Amino acid sequence: MIQRLLKLVLIAVLMHAPVSADAGVPLDTVKGHVDKVLDVLRDSSLKGGSKEKIKKDKIRTISEKMFDFNELSRRTLGLNWNKFKTEQQQEFIELYKSILEGAYIDKIVSYTDEKIIFNGENPLSEKTVEVQTTVVTKKADIPISYRMIRKEGEWRVYDVIIEGVSLISNYRSQFTQILVNKSPEGLLDTLRKKAGKA
Amino acid sequence: MVLIFLLLSPMRVSADSSLIMSEISSNKHEETISSGVNEPLPEQSKEPAEVTDDDTEGTAEEEAQDEGEEESIQIADPLYPWNKAMYHFNDKLYFWLMKPLARGYSAVVPEDIRLSVSNFFNNITTPIRFVSNLLQFKIKDAGNELFRFLYNSTAGVGGLADAAKMDFNIRQQDEDVGQALGSYGIGHGIYLVWPFLGPSSLRDTVGKAGDYFLTPVNYINPVETAVGITVYDQVNETSFHIGDYEDLKKSAIDPYISIRDAYLQHRKKKVEE
Repeated sequence: MIQRLLKLVLIAVLMHAPVSADAGVPLDTVKGHVDKVLDVLRDSSLKGGSKEKIKKDKIRTISEKMFDFNELSRRTLGLNWNKFKTEQQQEFIELYKSILEGAYIDKIVSYTDEKIIFNGENPLSEKTVEVQTTVVTKKADIPISYRMIRKEGEWRVYDVIIEGVSLISNYRSQFTQILVNKSPEGLLDTLRKKAGKA
Repeated sequence: MVLIFLLLSPMRVSADSSLIMSEISSNKHEETISSGVNEPLPEQSKEPAEVTDDDTEGTAEEEAQDEGEEESIQIADPLYPWNKAMYHFNDKLYFWLMKPLARGYSAVVPEDIRLSVSNFFNNITTPIRFVSNLLQFKIKDAGNELFRFLYNSTAGVGGLADAAKMDFNIRQQDEDVGQALGSYGIGHGIYLVWPFLGPSSLRDTVGKAGDYFLTPVNYINPVETAVGITVYDQVNETSFHIGDYEDLKKSAIDPYISIRDAYLQHRKKKVEE
């Protein structure tokens, strides 16, 4: 009896053990978020200029769940992250997020009928995975990859790679350059202006 | 051309997500490519990996930096004043000339025709891709290019339709002489921005010269006609990308650096492919 119970427990443990082998979860996660965004874009009750703001707010809510802005910010700054005080780090995350949303949301809202293909996923490390997608337009196929990290059981995006160009690497090259001549406070000031919060 | 890199602007997310699982490609880690010039690379990922059991964000960050999966690519930019001036020149060229031209053009010419024109120009630049594939010993890809050319020139009515893609799913692979040079391990040298042509490097400029001789249009006499055709090709291409450059500039904190980095990352990927 006890032996059988132990066996059951063992099986239960074993079944649960390979959490890292949950292949497909990152892809499904990205797909779920993308589908939700598409639902918002297709929602006929949100058509028309006056509903634009509601639409954008809904997309923003989805992006909060989809992206790990904390991770994204740390990785963007790289070693410079530690030069920022805790409050500065918090402000950086907020400003960076609002700049990214400002830059991308219009593009997303103005979508047409392109198709997204989810090609597969590719582990980068124990906790990170790259989900590969292709956006098919009439003109060309655009490869877009999402790099994701697992924290507390949830997969979130920390980088987007479009045609081989990593979003966070691109911003890092800019921030690194700015931090050559400016202090973290100086960079924050530049970002405040860019985000319209100066 | 300037406009090739406009593609790199914020993503166009869009409809109809169909799920097609295909092969999961092998895990490849990026390496920092050396720019060929002895510019010091930033000291990154020097800290030893901290392997601990707890899952705090702090350790996650340190691990992340040790993964080295997203290091910045560096390039020497000793001609910065020239490059920056050319960047401004191309910027104005786009806003004052190419954009209005492409706008007017696309208002008059329907998209399907513009796509055919684009296909036509892609078809006649087959020699660039064919030779570049051969230079990299990509025999199969070279064969595909040859097949595409023959098939599209006939079944595709002189290259107006990409019939090889539609009928056989044989797609065009972007190849050029600069990529072939890169595949030999030749670094960029220095960053260079050319008027009209946009971001480039010493290596890719040599590559562009090679491409030039492999482009049939450039053998047309008189030169004015060849230039005219090339400009038309560019206006046609630009008509598909109006707004992309604007988005790139809008999203960037420092557009010059952003474009330089995007160019390097994009070329690196192309060379690896």
